[in-house]
Amino acid sequence: MLTAILEHSSLFLQQLVNGITLGSIYALIAVGYTMVYGVIQLINFAHGEIYMLGAFISFSLLTGLFGVGLPFWLAVVVAVLACALAGVLLDIVAYRPLRRAPRLAALITAIGMSIFLQNLALLIWGAQIKSFPRNLIPAFFNEPALQFGDVLVSWLQVIILLTAICLMLALQLIVHYTRIGRAMRAIAQDKTAASLMGVNVDRVVSYTFALGSGLGGAAGILVALYYNAVYPTMGYFAGIKAFAAAVLGGIGSIPGAILGGGILGLAEVFGGGYISSSYSDGIAYAVMILVILVKPQGLFGRQLRDKA
Amino acid sequence: MHLDDRLFSEKKFYLPLLAVVLILPWLPMGIAGPYVLRVATLTLVYMVLALGLNVVPGFTGLLDLGYVGFFGLGAYTAGLLTVQYQWSIWLVLPLAAINGALWGVLRGAPTLRLSDDYFAIVTFGFSELIILIIRNELWLTKGPMGVPGIARPDLFGRVLDQPWQTFYLILFLLLLVLWVVVRIRSSRLGRAWFAVREDEIAAECVGVNIANYKIISFALSAAIGALAGAFYARWFRFIHPDMFKFWESILILCLIVFGGMGSITGALLGALILIPLTEVLRIVLPTELSNARYLLFGLLIVCMMRWRPAGLLPVQKE
Repeated sequence: MLTAILEHSSLFLQQLVNGITLGSIYALIAVGYTMVYGVIQLINFAHGEIYMLGAFISFSLLTGLFGVGLPFWLAVVVAVLACALAGVLLDIVAYRPLRRAPRLAALITAIGMSIFLQNLALLIWGAQIKSFPRNLIPAFFNEPALQFGDVLVSWLQVIILLTAICLMLALQLIVHYTRIGRAMRAIAQDKTAASLMGVNVDRVVSYTFALGSGLGGAAGILVALYYNAVYPTMGYFAGIKAFAAAVLGGIGSIPGAILGGGILGLAEVFGGGYISSSYSDGIAYAVMILVILVKPQGLFGRQLRDKA
Repeated sequence: MHLDDRLFSEKKFYLPLLAVVLILPWLPMGIAGPYVLRVATLTLVYMVLALGLNVVPGFTGLLDLGYVGFFGLGAYTAGLLTVQYQWSIWLVLPLAAINGALWGVLRGAPTLRLSDDYFAIVTFGFSELIILIIRNELWLTKGPMGVPGIARPDLFGRVLDQPWQTFYLILFLLLLVLWVVVRIRSSRLGRAWFAVREDEIAAECVGVNIANYKIISFALSAAIGALAGAFYARWFRFIHPDMFKFWESILILCLIVFGGMGSITGALLGALILIPLTEVLRIVLPTELSNARYLLFGLLIVCMMRWRPAGLLPVQKE
């Protein structure tokens, strides 16, 4: 009896650790959706693809697919920067020309860019699932960092959580205590008024895309290491789940996205573990639909703006 | 005057168009004969889908990102009824359409007060859930094994086993759907939809019952999608959850974006150009490139929105 309970509780704790890991990754992606939505009211469907690019670029830099094999940490930094740049380019090429167009046009463009980038990755890297060669990533990643009874926490899980926390703190500092952060918040409140006060809207939107996409790319790298798998459609499911997290937390709200990501990660792991593993993907969809129908402003969000 | 009005009001266009389509199966196409007919049939299926999807984003201005859900729903309704009870296609088609309409209403009713992008997200999530259920409820749908051995279409107790016969069948369905859509477009109902699309608040102020009209458009659109799915199941004779992925929704959306949202001729033209093009690309390109042919669709959508947002045959704004 006692052993059964112990066994059960260690399974529970292990699930909790896995759920928090997954949740912190979702939170990193969700922040990108939420920031862009807050500033230009666009659901950036292609954000999941930026995340996928982060995984692929770091993989390619590491294995020397582009001719140069970089050491692990350098490859990670370069990949994150490349993602930030990709996000900015995405905005300039695809979304900026449509700033004054109907919202539907921008939304459709975002979907088009998502398909485009996903198939571009398919073209460049092929459909096969790729995994990082063991000898190129630091060896301690898969060693246990902490152990309570049967519950294992690997170094990689610790690193994922710490990275997520540090990046989120940095983001909060940027948004609340820098000029550019203040400009972002001003545009989110009222774009016209902000531009009349001399805020360069295009430049601030570019910064927003750079920050969000950099975080998304970082999440892509972390996930690729965690599951040891990189493939072109990886951005699709992760993107949807992170979007659901952003909606749950209240789209436009950064703390909401973090909380939403955490909740969704836990819900997925526990739902998959205790209810039905075949429907674990469905949890994100169900959460998304329910939140939109019942409480569209989410946990922390503002009231949605009316149809204009 | 928009091409829609001209094409469907002046009878002189009817005969030559119909003649071309009717003799298509008999044109000498050499060895490629059956293949050409297969592509033609597929094109007509997508024309029906494009007409059906067009009702919601085109006529009422709400972006539907989950249309493939109804296509899959219709295909599975028809496929399973046929395998289980060996019913005639003429019984299965209306049942599938009714089932589609039912789910269209069930999906649409709670979304009435949502703004544009949130409506799009709900439609997307809903269709993903439908496909997830199809994939996982093995007792009903056989899940990832798919449903093989669905009977061919039939007519007056005779099995239609020639490719040209199925071609005429989908042609008949297309004309039927086209007739319904064209008639509704110029009716009171159609005008109410356009009013909702152009300005929902103004429409409400002049007494248009927005909720009712939106619900009708959801039901009609879903019914048409399910009808196409039902035909598809009986024609292809095998259905599988992977046939109804999210990208199919986007492909159908691409057809009407390309042709011009809200334009009936645009929807037909979009399917007429893009579906044969995909098939040609599949053959012409080497395997790796042809796997990535959706790249072109993505690019096409982006470019259309940038330079010609109203499509090839834009609907005039008055």
